[in-house]
Amino acid sequence: MKDFKVIEIKKSVYESNDKEAESLRQELKDQELFLLNLMSSPGSGKTSTVLRTIEALGEEMRIGVLEADLDSSVDAGTVAETGTKVIQLHSGGMCHLDALMTREGIEALGTEGLDLAILENIGNLICTAEYDTGAAKNAMILSVPEGHDKPLKYPIMFSMVDVLLVNKIDAMDFFDFDMSKLTEYVTRLNKDIKIIPISAKTGEGIDQWADWLRNEVKNWKQNK
Amino acid sequence: MHELGVVIDIVKKVENIARANSLTTIDTLVLQIGELSSMIPRYVESCYPAAVDGTMLEATNLRIEILPAAARCRKCSSVFNPLKHEDCCPHCSAKEADITAGREFMIKEIIAC
Repeated sequence: MKDFKVIEIKKSVYESNDKEAESLRQELKDQELFLLNLMSSPGSGKTSTVLRTIEALGEEMRIGVLEADLDSSVDAGTVAETGTKVIQLHSGGMCHLDALMTREGIEALGTEGLDLAILENIGNLICTAEYDTGAAKNAMILSVPEGHDKPLKYPIMFSMVDVLLVNKIDAMDFFDFDMSKLTEYVTRLNKDIKIIPISAKTGEGIDQWADWLRNEVKNWKQNK
Repeated sequence: MHELGVVIDIVKKVENIARANSLTTIDTLVLQIGELSSMIPRYVESCYPAAVDGTMLEATNLRIEILPAAARCRKCSSVFNPLKHEDCCPHCSAKEADITAGREFMIKEIIAC
């Protein structure tokens, strides 16, 4: 009979990713590159928000975009039409990006001369929240048609992001969306969160979002 | 069902630990999953055979321990299970609480030789 013994490991499954993310964040800090991790459900308007962001800030800072998808390069093609530096990442069936995949993407994009890199994460509110990508800040988009009760269903995501963009506010009249309830649910989970209502379609609220981002990029470069 | 990729990653980690400790046979892998983790134990179990196929862990047993959720009330500081009390403090009825446990996903131990 073999002599089996218990070998204690006691390691978080996320530990190695957390370490990788921390070292990537430090490297990006040294290079003065602000990485924004943008997350949301599929169809909430990530790509159109990215386009609006480029429109608002593209003249004052150099922006690069990492488009993550399970497959295809539809989004990267759309962003590339603006003349912005963009790279398509395929997660190979994984439903989130981890720090290692983000690092590979950043390296492939080339950080030279960039001020802001936007990582358009995979459309998913579940495990994208649990994998630190090494980003300076985390943002998520919730669109009006998805409903104000989403924070109750996906608490982890809402509790870890720095800013919440409430997109498609131009469609508010067609949905029973309660902004004050949303704010109540979200701040219960995350008291420091910044909520910015926007419409990527009409451009409403984009200036506020651009102000927030401009300020964060500035702080990131200053507090080296 | 987003567990498979993560379980494949766990299998790789365990293989590395086994090699580093000169272990040749693994009998059981013990994972701990918090009640608030996005990993669903039932799905971790069902994708396990696929994840271990052709690896050192192919013939191993999987055991999952559930770690209870806990939250601390921001008003009265009492600690309670947010799932059992629907995010509402059972002592002072406040709805603002900070999660202190339940999101873990740990490789606890292996039984091997």
